[in-house]
Amino acid sequence: MSHNNNSASVNDPRQPSAAKPFVTQPVSPQDLPVDYSGFIAVVFGIAGVMFRYKLSSWLAIIFCAQSLANMRNVENDLKQISMAMMFAIMGLVTNYLGPARPGT
Amino acid sequence: MNKGKSFSLFHWLFLLCLFITHLSFSHVLADSHFEGFDAEDDDAVDEEPLDHHEIRPPPLTQSDSHPTPDPETQFNPDPNPVPTSDSPPQSDLQKPSTTTFEYWDEDEFEGLPVEQPPPEPPKVTENATPDDADPKTTSKPPKTAVSKKSFTVEIICGAFLIAFVINYFTGKRENENLALAWAAKFATKGSIFEKNFSLLGVGEGEDSPLLLKEGQTVFKFYASGRRYCQGLLATMELKSRHDLISRLFNLVVPCKDEISFEVYMNEEAMDQVVFAVAKKKAAKGMQKEVRDLQRFAGLVANPSGRKWVAEELSVISESKEVAGDLITEAVLEQVFGDRAFEKYGKDFISMHFSDQHPGTHKKMLLFKFGLPDANHMADMTRWVALVPYYIDLIGRFKLSSQARSKTEAARVKAAQEAYKELQNARQEALQKKKAERKKMLEEAEAKLSAEAVRKKEAKDRARQMKKAMPRMKMTRGH
Repeated sequence: MSHNNNSASVNDPRQPSAAKPFVTQPVSPQDLPVDYSGFIAVVFGIAGVMFRYKLSSWLAIIFCAQSLANMRNVENDLKQISMAMMFAIMGLVTNYLGPARPGT
Repeated sequence: MNKGKSFSLFHWLFLLCLFITHLSFSHVLADSHFEGFDAEDDDAVDEEPLDHHEIRPPPLTQSDSHPTPDPETQFNPDPNPVPTSDSPPQSDLQKPSTTTFEYWDEDEFEGLPVEQPPPEPPKVTENATPDDADPKTTSKPPKTAVSKKSFTVEIICGAFLIAFVINYFTGKRENENLALAWAAKFATKGSIFEKNFSLLGVGEGEDSPLLLKEGQTVFKFYASGRRYCQGLLATMELKSRHDLISRLFNLVVPCKDEISFEVYMNEEAMDQVVFAVAKKKAAKGMQKEVRDLQRFAGLVANPSGRKWVAEELSVISESKEVAGDLITEAVLEQVFGDRAFEKYGKDFISMHFSDQHPGTHKKMLLFKFGLPDANHMADMTRWVALVPYYIDLIGRFKLSSQARSKTEAARVKAAQEAYKELQNARQEALQKKKAERKKMLEEAEAKLSAEAVRKKEAKDRARQMKKAMPRMKMTRGH
């Protein structure tokens, strides 16, 4: 069916003796793609806490979810995500359970 | 006795407060109503230890005088507060509340109604209610509006979060299905990879998993145990289907599922070859950006009198000979020829062979294809078959001696250049260090010299002083 049969069918190309098991290359944390969503989540979280802005905290939670969904290196990313999550939740708690804003 | 004492004190204070009110009135005649109250309020606070009943009258008489602001009464305050002490407040209070109804201010009467006799307040509040209710009704609507608005935010965000979570699971499943469909088509029993490699999968043993999942979008497939090469690593990079935000983003900026094969060739099995095929635009970019292509290879013009690759493709190669030998009749017929490429070309991205690949393994074959969807995996069979075909072709390929000497020279030259660059970099670093040290020394010297100048000046001064001193002594001695 395919052209490789011409060359491959001459003899079996397989060489079990030459087989090397798969070795996972350790990826250094620097080589991983930058976790933009985590960064955005932190920024939104801090903004939400600072300015008592609900939408910002909610956005932080959404970006936290994105960051969690895209997480590759568990122990490395979890720090940033947990921080962002903390800020986001703190912002929401102060927003909904905290003292009413004097402005509104 | 006690009462008399407090009375006189009260008298005194009353005079004082009247004086203060008078002062404030003379300052702000227009807003007399408020000013008068304020001043007396302060006084009332001051006199807290005193009897309240006797302190009350002044403010009330004051408020009485306000509706009919008469400077005369202000200038001649009543010296006997007694008659207006206990009984008049009621009628007095009522008066202002009714007459100056428009000027009613809640803050003004704060504290006062508490001390008023019980029958009084109802009337006052009755009068006040229409005015009082107004601010309430006006303040209520914005409150409800705010809560409504905030609810929309919460509803939208909550819904998005739920959609995100649902999409996460469905998208994850979709990606996994796609990867599994690929593996089922090309890596199971009787498939292309099974026929060509003795070891399939990323684990060890017989039934090792075929695919390695890295993150939610990257799947890896490993195969090994074939002549001419050490191993093959296929990396599938799929769309971020699990991520709703990138999914929405991809609606604007579309992207494709891709699979790239890296074949690690044996050292002795690959001659000096630098060769690439890609679509025209991408080829130009590759020629500029990929280091080994940039250094060793150039775009190859279509040779006349020979069947060549399709119009949309361009070939980058170190020499025409290599290009001619690697683009065989079979390949042209199967995939790269005009007719075949029209049919299958949509899945081809690029192909790049190099013996000077930057990185740990130098001799590599790289293939990059687009992945069709799970139901049409058979579409890319020809492209996948290209991989073992080229492994064999490159493994058997030997350059002619003429071309070999050329490529050898190029590699020696490149190595020399690299060595020179390294040397240059080293030298530059050394020079930088030297310059830094020199700068440091100079700075230190400058500091030292400044200090030296200061010392010298001090010495000079001392010397001058000394010069002057003996004379002094001399004069003293006289």
